[in-house]
Amino acid sequence: MSLLELDDVHSHYGPSHILRGVSLTVERGEVVTLLGRNGAGKTTTLRSIIGATPPEVSAGRIAFGGEDIVGNSPEDIVMNGIAIVPEERRVFGDFTVEENLRMPDISRQDWNTILRDMPVEDESGMNDEEIYELFPRLEERREQYAGTLSGGEQQMLSIARTLKLPNVDLLLMDEPTEGLAPQIVESVLDSIERIAETGTTILLVEQNSTAALKVADRCYILDDGSIVYQGSSEELVADDDVRLRYLAV
Amino acid sequence: MSLRDVTGRLSIGKPTLSWEYWDEIKGTESFIFVATTVFVLLWSWLFARAPITSAVGGYQSLAVTVLIWGIFAIGFDLLLGQTGLLSFGHAVFWGGGAYAAGLFSYYVTGDPFLVVIAGIVFALVLAAVVGYIALRRHAVYFAILTLAIGQFVYFLAVSPLQEITGGYNGFIYVQVEPVAGFINLNQPLPGVLGTLWYDHLYLFVAVFFVFAVVLATRIVKSPYGLVFRSLRENEQRAAFIGINVWRYKFMAFILSAVFAGVAGSLYTIHTVFVSVESLYWLISGEVVIMTVLGGLGSVFGPILGAILYVYVRGVVDGFPIVGPYWFLILTTLFTVVVWAFPQGLWGIVGKIGQSLRGLTRRWNDS
Repeated sequence: MSLLELDDVHSHYGPSHILRGVSLTVERGEVVTLLGRNGAGKTTTLRSIIGATPPEVSAGRIAFGGEDIVGNSPEDIVMNGIAIVPEERRVFGDFTVEENLRMPDISRQDWNTILRDMPVEDESGMNDEEIYELFPRLEERREQYAGTLSGGEQQMLSIARTLKLPNVDLLLMDEPTEGLAPQIVESVLDSIERIAETGTTILLVEQNSTAALKVADRCYILDDGSIVYQGSSEELVADDDVRLRYLAV
Repeated sequence: MSLRDVTGRLSIGKPTLSWEYWDEIKGTESFIFVATTVFVLLWSWLFARAPITSAVGGYQSLAVTVLIWGIFAIGFDLLLGQTGLLSFGHAVFWGGGAYAAGLFSYYVTGDPFLVVIAGIVFALVLAAVVGYIALRRHAVYFAILTLAIGQFVYFLAVSPLQEITGGYNGFIYVQVEPVAGFINLNQPLPGVLGTLWYDHLYLFVAVFFVFAVVLATRIVKSPYGLVFRSLRENEQRAAFIGINVWRYKFMAFILSAVFAGVAGSLYTIHTVFVSVESLYWLISGEVVIMTVLGGLGSVFGPILGAILYVYVRGVVDGFPIVGPYWFLILTTLFTVVVWAFPQGLWGIVGKIGQSLRGLTRRWNDS
């Protein structure tokens, strides 16, 4: 059984039909990348998986660990083991780095924490030490407001925050290298590899196919709302024809 | 001996006078408790009877009104300032609490504490219903829904339920009994105590005021506060890290309604009357203005907003010549403050604090 399975998924943004029958699978322990041009439906695919609205999923099946998750709320899906690093490094700019990292701890506490002190971290996700080992820059900047971090640091924080969630089986990443300087891209790729080494399965959406293919085992290409290619990363790297046609590189 | 020698001498071995020490204590709950207590103990005297400060025309009843509206505004800020939800229907909780308190005092018992509890319970139940309906929609639709529900309840109270509410005449049978059977709220206090606080009613309201400030501070500093602010920044981002968005919005709504219910009940005890206007949308608008004028997202800002608003409405309107224009004055003040200082009056206080800091630093360096 695949960890994640999309079977003929159709999604709409209002009247516009964005996903026109997307089928893909992600096996446990893999790093899979979903490539495609701007507007191909990559982000829509991730939003459909995580249960964010819009879009509306109108047909098809999205199964996580064999269980259909279409119609579940994002917070339920997140608590059941899928985490997302959203596009554009969506950190809480008014919060310090530390407070950003505390949010996942709070989310799994009881509702009656209203008058308590800030939570001590839960052991089921990564703890602070592991996080800071993975992203040493964040430790130097724990007290700083996240909005004042550089783009690369915000990306690290965005990734770190999802790793603090309990039992993340599948990590969805939406263009984590977008808008970053080349050497920062390298260090983001490096951290993706290290996360993959811990056994976390990753579905990586990228426009930067060169970067994504360095870390991915397998790849899919999405064009105009449907899957037009699938294969191993090596195969796609070797296939200039497909890359030129669908990715223009 | 110059002034500088004095401060120099005072700060030797006494970190109590440094900015660092101030930063350390200013946010702590015990400091806020002490500061608020000192404030309420002096407030009515300063406002209504002190030699110089009371010359602005404040009077005792208005001092009590300010504290009551302050409680309302502090609670409202939990919703608007912290969570970023703009409700235009909070009159329903103020007025609902006021009516519940009034009716309870007549039909059950007039013990002030029990009367307030009745107001709280009613506001809480009402908030659960209104929140359940209105929080399904976002932004402006949420604001309009709360406004519509609020007006629905107002018209309900005016006519179909006038047998209970008294309709346009209001509910005139409020019975306020002594606290625990022997502390009469309206009995003036003797001697210097009377000069400071006038009567027991003031102290009764002051207890709730201090409790409201400390409770709001505690909420803002708890994990709830962090979640509320994360929702203000971006609900979806919060959902993506597993925050149950709806539940926390619902809690923020109910909490703010409970503060409104306390304030409404206290107002009933204060005026020994419930006006049907307490449910009117104008009340909802007033609390929005107070909160924004005072400064969103700070516990103390809304109190400043309540002071200024109630002062202009209650004192300036009696001034010669300008009196009839009090609302014009207020709206002009509001526009100027919000335009120049989006952080409101509390933002101005913050700016003054910073310049003071800069001054002392330069002075110490020279």
